[in-house]
This record gives sequence, C-alpha cells and structure tokens, in this order.
Amino acid sequence: MSTEYKKPLPATQPWSEEFWKAAKLHKLVIQTCKKCNTKIFYPRKFCPNCWSSDLGWSEATGKARVYTFTITMDMVEEKFKEDLPYALAIVELEEGIRMMTRIVDCKPEDVYIGMDVQVVFEDITDDYTLPFFKPATNG
Amino acid sequence: MSKEKLAIIGIGEVPTEINPERSQWDIIYDTCIEATRDAGIDKKDIEGVISANPMAQPAITSELAFGKLPEELGLNNCKDTAVCNAGGASSTNSLKLAEQWIQTGSAKIVLISHTTVHSTIPREDAINFFATAGMDLQWEYPFGTTYNGLFGMLTQRYMYETGTTMEELASVVVALRKWGAMDPNSIFYKKEVPSIEQILSSPMVSTPLHRRECNLLADGGAAMIVTSAELAKEITKTPVYKLGDAVTYESASILMRHDFFLRDTFGYMAKKAMSDAGITTDDIDIFEFYGAYPVLQCVFLEAVGICKPGEAGKFITEGHTSPGGKCPCATIGDAIGRGHTGSGVGMAYYVETARQLMGKAGERQVPNCNYVLYNTSGGSGMNVIVTIFGRELQ
Repeated sequence: MSTEYKKPLPATQPWSEEFWKAAKLHKLVIQTCKKCNTKIFYPRKFCPNCWSSDLGWSEATGKARVYTFTITMDMVEEKFKEDLPYALAIVELEEGIRMMTRIVDCKPEDVYIGMDVQVVFEDITDDYTLPFFKPATNG
Repeated sequence: MSKEKLAIIGIGEVPTEINPERSQWDIIYDTCIEATRDAGIDKKDIEGVISANPMAQPAITSELAFGKLPEELGLNNCKDTAVCNAGGASSTNSLKLAEQWIQTGSAKIVLISHTTVHSTIPREDAINFFATAGMDLQWEYPFGTTYNGLFGMLTQRYMYETGTTMEELASVVVALRKWGAMDPNSIFYKKEVPSIEQILSSPMVSTPLHRRECNLLADGGAAMIVTSAELAKEITKTPVYKLGDAVTYESASILMRHDFFLRDTFGYMAKKAMSDAGITTDDIDIFEFYGAYPVLQCVFLEAVGICKPGEAGKFITEGHTSPGGKCPCATIGDAIGRGHTGSGVGMAYYVETARQLMGKAGERQVPNCNYVLYNTSGGSGMNVIVTIFGRELQ
C-alpha cells in the first residue's frame, strides 16, 4: 500500500466513519433510519427524512447498474493525471441509491449505460478504501 | 404581489478577454462608471452596492465583503454594501437583495457589480477550484470529478435517453459561437466560427465532450444600475422591468437529483415566472438560456416546450436559435461562445437582457424585442431561477 497517496482522501464526518471503516473491511454499508426506514446516502448525523438520531447500518449487496459515465481524458488536476483515462460513473445500487465511483477492471470504452456492475474495493491508504465497481461476472 | 417592481436603468461591461494586466479593480472602475453614466445618474444617487461574488479570488472577495467598493469609487451616499455568493446564481441573488433594499426603502438606487480575473490565478489552483466547487468532498471529489466530467456524464445520459447525436450537440456550439462572433464583449468576437467537424475533431476532454464543447476560463466584468419601476420612468426612456420570477432549490450534489437534467423543474419554474409576469411562452422574444455546457441549451428548449424531449438538437442544428433564427437563444453565446468568467456569465446575461430590451444590442439586436426569459443556476444545478424582463410594465 502506498504511503504517498497524493489524491484527495474523503473529507469524512464523525457520522460517516462507519462507512469508511466498513469499506476498509471490503464491505459496502448503507446508513438506515430505524424510525422511518429511510435508506440514507450519503450518511448524515440525523435522518434527512424524519430527523431521528436512531440510525444504523446494513450491508449492501454490492450489485449496481451504470446510470451514466464519462471517460475522463484531460483537464484534471496534476494528482489525477497518472490515472488518465479513467471511467468516472454514477451507479445505481440495487438498494436504490446513486453513488459516484469509477468503473475498473475493464477498458473504459467498454463501459455503457445500463451495464451491470459489482463493487470492488481499492485500498488507497492504510486508512482509506474507495468503493469502485467492475463489470458483474454473472447476472 | 403589489410590491414595487424593479427596473434596470444602466449597464456597463468590459470585453471578456484573457488579460492578466487588467486588474479586478480596473474592471470595477470602468464597468461601474459606465453603468452609472449609462443610467444618466450621478454617483451621489447610488445608495447601495452589491457585488456578485468573484469565484476563486479570495483577496478581492474579502475587499468587497468588507466594504471597499463604495469607498474606492467615492460613493458618499451609500447606505449599505454586501457580496452575494450563490455560485453561478450570485448575480440573481444580488438582484434579489437589491430588490429588497429598494422595496424596503433602504436604498433607492443600487449598483450591482461583478469582476473576475481568472488569468492571474495559478493554473493548478484554478483547476482545483473548479474540481471542488459544487462537488462533494467526501462522496464525489476523491473519485476524480471535474465540472467537465460532471457535464460529460449529464450529456451521456441525455444522449442515451433522447438519441441526440454528437453532431447535434456540436451544432449547439456552432450556434453559440455565431452569437459570440457578433459580440464585441466576447472573447470570440470576429473569430471564425468552427464547423461541426472541427468541434468533433478537437481533443476529447471527458466523453462525450470535446475541448471545443468545454469552457475557456476568461477575465471580465459588468455592472448595472437598478431602481424602482416608478423612479426608473423618471430617470430613463428605456427602463427594463423585472416582471416576474420563480426559484427553487434542487440539491448540491448531482447524485441526489432525481430530475437529472432539471428539465421538469426548469419547465415548471419557467411557467411560474411567465405566469407571474402575465405572459406565455409565445410572448418571449429571446430565451437567454445560461447553461454553460451545450446539453443544457437542448434541455431548456425542451423544458419551455419549444421542442419535444429529444428534438432540441435537431432544432438547433437547423439554425433556429442562431442569429436571424425564429427562436433566438443565448445572444451572448453562453459561456461557451464568450469565455467563462465564473459568476460573471450570469451578470453578462443580465446586461445583455437589458441591452436587448433597451434596443442597443447592435448587430445582435433581436427586432421588436419586448420580453426576455433568463435563467441562472448555481454549482452543478443546486437551484433553478427563471426571471422575466420586459420593456413595459404589465
């Protein structure tokens, strides 16, 4: 694992730490309101639907579909240049949540809208792991 | 509803260019004095000063927020000053604050100003600013988002849903650059308008957006003088009245946006603003759409019902929104056809709206221009604001 990670780390809040701890263990979790059952993304201090503070976490299946994407090829900050070209995407989880991510383990030009993908974890530092997605191996 | 309406009575602007030698204060002096003279008032008549926030320029922002503008220009009768920051909607919120000052009697005449010099910001800082402005620092930025990337994704989804082609999207740039080529305040003034082929052969930045479909950061500024409708009639023969508006907040992050293109929201706000002004879409002579990226010119045309969803690309390709077309749109060429001055594009559009309604738009003048619809949004589309301006009070 690189100790010289120069790209931005997620700017976390105390109430989102569970998400990143789980990601480090290669689990994708979703915050859930125990009072109104809202699935909350991104994690909040209080439920954005009912303002309850009684919040918990549940593990997502990790299955998702590409809602839209772009192959980033130029005009990025110096620190992202080594990654070019990369497929930046918004995916829709089975649980109905949209996340920003990257599609990896395939050529960027093979990504398409509606593509079935599954979560894969990229350990970027000792503390942080980003949830990326790769083409689903089976339906 | 019976509140006093607002009117724009004077405008000033400097050409958009890349000119590190021209300072932010230099632009403020020239635009504010031009707007004041254009209104035919004296500097002692200005009672309020509002600056649309200059993005990514913390030093000038501080100076403006802490009151330097009235002092610098010797505006001795100024009662109050403030900076409004709402991203690309900063100018609209400046106008709304001016409206409030005027309606409550805090100030009878208000100066609204904007200045931006991008070219002295170190390139890496500018890229960083636009990579993080309006982006979520936890849930978006670590993945390598940029504005171009965000609008690449939006454009990709729009093409998928509507079948709009790359050629049609490139034709939006052609239409905008045609307006820009006729605008002395555009960085592309008198510059050759690129062909669809030239646009599509420029390097890919963020699929499906080519370099010529992305914005060129530039320097510029503008100012306007606003007052009550009642006073406006006494001061000038060409007041430009704000007849109606509508606004709604959407979301900071594009991830939360279920109306992904903001088409329905925009359509609803446009209808509400026109109803507030007592007019309909057929009455609008110019749609001053501020979209920043080509795809939004299509979305907005569909939102107001000029085109059915998915048909705007063809409509624009046919030239209907270009100079001389039956549906003139974005007569300053939007940010693409003029150079992007941050929150200044919004101000430039207000100045152009007034210019067209005052009948002083020169080569770009749309004949018999009575009503203009104009929109702004901040960030990646955090809000949708539609405003209607006209030459006559309803």
